[in-house]
Formats: sequence, structure tokens, C-alpha cells
Amino acid sequence: MNGLTSGFGAWNPIAWALLFVGILVVSFIVRSRGNKSYKRGSGQTKVFLSGNEEPADADALHVRGDHLYWGMVDGLSAYYRRVKAWHTGIFSDYVAWFVGVLAVVFVILVWVG
Amino acid sequence: MGWVNDMALPRSFKRALWVFHIATGSCNGCDIEIVAALTPRYDVERFGIMLTGTPRHADVLLITGPVTRPMLPRLKRIYEQTPDPKAVVVVGGCGSTSGVFYESYNVVGPVDEVIPVDVYVPGCPARPEAIIDGVVKAVAKLETLEKSGVSG
Repeated sequence: MNGLTSGFGAWNPIAWALLFVGILVVSFIVRSRGNKSYKRGSGQTKVFLSGNEEPADADALHVRGDHLYWGMVDGLSAYYRRVKAWHTGIFSDYVAWFVGVLAVVFVILVWVG
Repeated sequence: MGWVNDMALPRSFKRALWVFHIATGSCNGCDIEIVAALTPRYDVERFGIMLTGTPRHADVLLITGPVTRPMLPRLKRIYEQTPDPKAVVVVGGCGSTSGVFYESYNVVGPVDEVIPVDVYVPGCPARPEAIIDGVVKAVAKLETLEKSGVSG
């Protein structure tokens, strides 16, 4: 099989396709050996939460990545409240901020410099 | 270890046995003995007996302590969440009979008043050898269930 050899290795579509099919077959074999005896619709298919009942509001248990920074965000909450209000998501607002800050910098440079 | 060979572990074990440990109100004496069974002195993991973090992967439920009222719904839920076939092993006198907590105001009773129990391991606390023996007896129960095609 002819393939393209580059500085990063060999690229042969057929070889990679065969490898992909091989991985799929192995995955299917592993999956087919799983336990099929669980009862659908019973507690065996429910989420395990250390024995606790799953709350109706599943988001209450969702631990997001930014929860790691909870202490910092909570400590600076007064600052964040103000800054978040400025983040409107509207491009023209951001351009206005850019022009405004640029004007202030220009004025400082002209007067002070 | 002669007693390991006496229990005919290699003959009985067709696959790794995953165990989920629940303390339903234990004083932690039995829990410590379960941990002792995992230490290098006994090292049950070499036989494939392994503690798992979820009942969804467990073959055996290892329960310590009498069932306190807060733990009652949780024990039932965990039992329901364990796939079939499964075996339940109660470790220690409190789980078997409520022990010193018998008729205590906040104790529902021994484990077998809440869920079906297959093996009782008595002791206060139970020794690691006894715990391993109990788990091996649970294996025999599981194999009987699998042979008979019963899914729990």
C-alpha cells in the first residue's frame, strides 16, 4: 500500500480505515460481553448518588468547572456584578468601550506626554 | 496461607468479584476489619476481590452495622441499584442482630429486616479471615444463581 510519508509520519487512508474498523470490532466485542441481566426501568438503571434519591432538579447536583474558583468569585462578587453588567455581548458596545478607552489614553498621552 | 487453599478459591473464582461496602450505622470496627482484608497481610485483591465505588458494578454487597433510620431508604435504594445476580453479606454482630443497638430508638433493626441476606459473618468486630470466608460463600451463592439462570 502506497502512502504519503511526511515529517509527522505516514498517511495511508486504507491502513487507517482498517485500523478504525479493527478498533470498532474490538469495542463491539468488549461491549457485547457486558452484563445484560439488568432490569430496565428498575433501580438498576438509575443514577447512583451515594444512596440518595436523585433530585427533580438535577442541576442542583451538577458540579461545574468554575465551582473550583467559587472562593475567588464570591470574594470579588461586588466587582464581578459590575463588570458582568458591562458584558452585554453586543459588538457595538465593545467597540464603543475600545474607542472610549483609546480616547482617554490619547488625551493622557497628549496632555501628560 | 493454608486457610486460603482450604477455601478452594482458585476453583470457585471464574472472574473477579467486585464488592460494594455499605456502613448502615456501624461503629466502624467492622469497616476497619474490611480494610484490613485489603492490606498486604491478607491482600484479597490478588484473588480478584475488589472494593468498587458504586453498586452498579458490584456482585456482592458487604454491609456493616445495624440499619439506622436515615440509612433505611438509602440501603433499599442501593440494593435496588445493584445488578443481578447479587449476594448480600452482613459483617458483624450489629448487622446480623442489631447487637448492642438492639431496640435502640434510632435503629430499624438488623439488615435482614430490610433486604434479603445471604451470608452472615458474626463477630464484634468480625476478623478479616471470617470476612473473606463470608465473601467466598457469597461467590458460591452467585455461582448457584448463575447456573440456575436466576437473575436475582
